[in-house]
Amino acid sequence: MSTELPYAADAEVSLSYDELEVLRLQYEREQLQAHVTVQTKFNYAWGLVKSPLREHQVEGVRLLQDLYRSEPARRRECLYYLALGHYKMGNFEEAKQFNGLLLEKEPTNLQAMSLGQLIDKGVAKEGYIGMALVGGAAALGTLVLAGLIRRATRNHK
Amino acid sequence: MAPTGTQSTINVKLLLIGNSSVGKSSLLLRFSDEQWLPEDESSATIGVDFRVHRMDVNGKKVKLSIWDTAGQERFRTITSSYYRGAQGIILVYDVSSRESFDALPRWYSELETYVSESVVKILVGNKVDKEFSRQVPAAEAAAFAQRMNSLFIEASAKTSVNVQETFREVVEKILDTPALWDNGASKAQRTDGGRGGVPGGVQVVGLSDEQAEQGGSCSC
Repeated sequence: MSTELPYAADAEVSLSYDELEVLRLQYEREQLQAHVTVQTKFNYAWGLVKSPLREHQVEGVRLLQDLYRSEPARRRECLYYLALGHYKMGNFEEAKQFNGLLLEKEPTNLQAMSLGQLIDKGVAKEGYIGMALVGGAAALGTLVLAGLIRRATRNHK
Repeated sequence: MAPTGTQSTINVKLLLIGNSSVGKSSLLLRFSDEQWLPEDESSATIGVDFRVHRMDVNGKKVKLSIWDTAGQERFRTITSSYYRGAQGIILVYDVSSRESFDALPRWYSELETYVSESVVKILVGNKVDKEFSRQVPAAEAAAFAQRMNSLFIEASAKTSVNVQETFREVVEKILDTPALWDNGASKAQRTDGGRGGVPGGVQVVGLSDEQAEQGGSCSC
């Protein structure tokens, strides 16, 4: 019997188009009536953050930031989904910051701990890619330089 | 497909539901990690949490994905999308909280909306370690469970009593329910998009089967 690490389900599973549509329509309907309830706004933001599309994630994070400021009672949920949204966009620093705030208040929160692991993994991966890029650039530079030197010496002859 | 192969892993999706702070996450934590967090250290689930657990049931390899949903009212409208593709539902109440037991009909009516009748249900009275402050007699809950066509068990995530048994019983019953494995029937089990949602709630149910495919494709 084995168990895998806890895992931030919301990071991977997104809503179907129709599900997000329901949330969006509700939000827009209330916007037209000039009164958007906290729940509607939160639901829509949640759906957006879970989406695989970057533009959705950006909009979701924007709404969550609004909510964070205006609704102190919803701060813990907002922190979690802000961290998740930034994580999905690849803004690991911001993700870490928001997740850190949540962990500060709830050091044993398993979801935040699990999301923290995902963020750290993302940072590490980005680090490898960065190193690979730098390494690649260095190798390329060496080749170019070698070529130049060779050409220079040949011309010299 | 019927779970006949002994070699391949069978995927089972379970969902934990019930009022806030009845101990859904604690049951899951105890089951999967043999851990328990004291009340002041455990935190309310945000939205949904998810764990994968492997176990052998009657010689069959089973991969459980267990979805732990927030019991808080404010997540009701958004967590309903997780009912999609569930084969087993674990309904949890707290034996020392009458309120959590009295809320069960509402959870059952939500089930009626989102899952087919063949889905296996188990009613779990958690926190039997609090025997002295018990507010729900076992006999009453057992009778209720029978009326609701559910299995019944009393457990404690704190003392680990009946936690393994809870999950094992659900999985065994699921494996014994052909309707859950028959391809035709599993279509019907898909959450119903047209039947309206929880009163006052936004209906967020799936129309696609991607979830089921996701669960069925991995044989790792």
